[in-house]
Amino acid sequence: MREPLNGTLKPRYQDPIVELYKKDVDRTLIRHNLTLTVDQRFEQLMRLQELAIELRRAGKEARLGR
Amino acid sequence: MTDFPQLIKVLVSSGVEFIIVGGAAAIVHGAARLTEDLDVVYRRNDQNTARLIVALESHSPYLRGAPPGLPFRWEPSTIRNGLNFTLITDIGAIDLLGEITGGGGYEDLLPDSISLKVFGFDCWCLDLEKLIFVKRAAGRPKDLEAVAELESILDER
Repeated sequence: MREPLNGTLKPRYQDPIVELYKKDVDRTLIRHNLTLTVDQRFEQLMRLQELAIELRRAGKEARLGR
Repeated sequence: MTDFPQLIKVLVSSGVEFIIVGGAAAIVHGAARLTEDLDVVYRRNDQNTARLIVALESHSPYLRGAPPGLPFRWEPSTIRNGLNFTLITDIGAIDLLGEITGGGGYEDLLPDSISLKVFGFDCWCLDLEKLIFVKRAAGRPKDLEAVAELESILDER
């Protein structure tokens, strides 16, 4: 977390629930994403969407016993 | 699947004044979480309403999740009489928001937005600090989870 500089920055409010969630944030993914352009971030999102759609389809098929 | 470049293209090409917010704004700032729709806050005035109608009318907008056959008409009075619309179109899912919790409307959010070029189109996106603020204000469990990631991005930048 960034520290206040000579009192010019207010320390960020720390919500205990948010702090708990932070333990599960994958910072390696964030660091990778920050190396990408905005266009590349959206392209990556759309590939992830395609994967999610395919996994949902496969899961549905499996549940129906096909 | 939502075609983000195409949705942004139809909005910008029609001159719609909007700000990218929500999960798509988080993607702009480097988030890794999956989002399946484009959330935008649009300027609420007659001119922009007319542009919104033109932008989406050829893409079959309909209320997302609603049963088929409802008398939903994509026309200015529909937008004037409502505020926030969760729509599905033939190029993907889009949430058109007149206001958002903790942030207000287009004019309120513009000073806390950044200008960026996405797929060659100039548009506005809520800045990271304001995005964190409105996610906190929304306060749903999924928003707080998003805040954890967005604050981590703030630390990593």
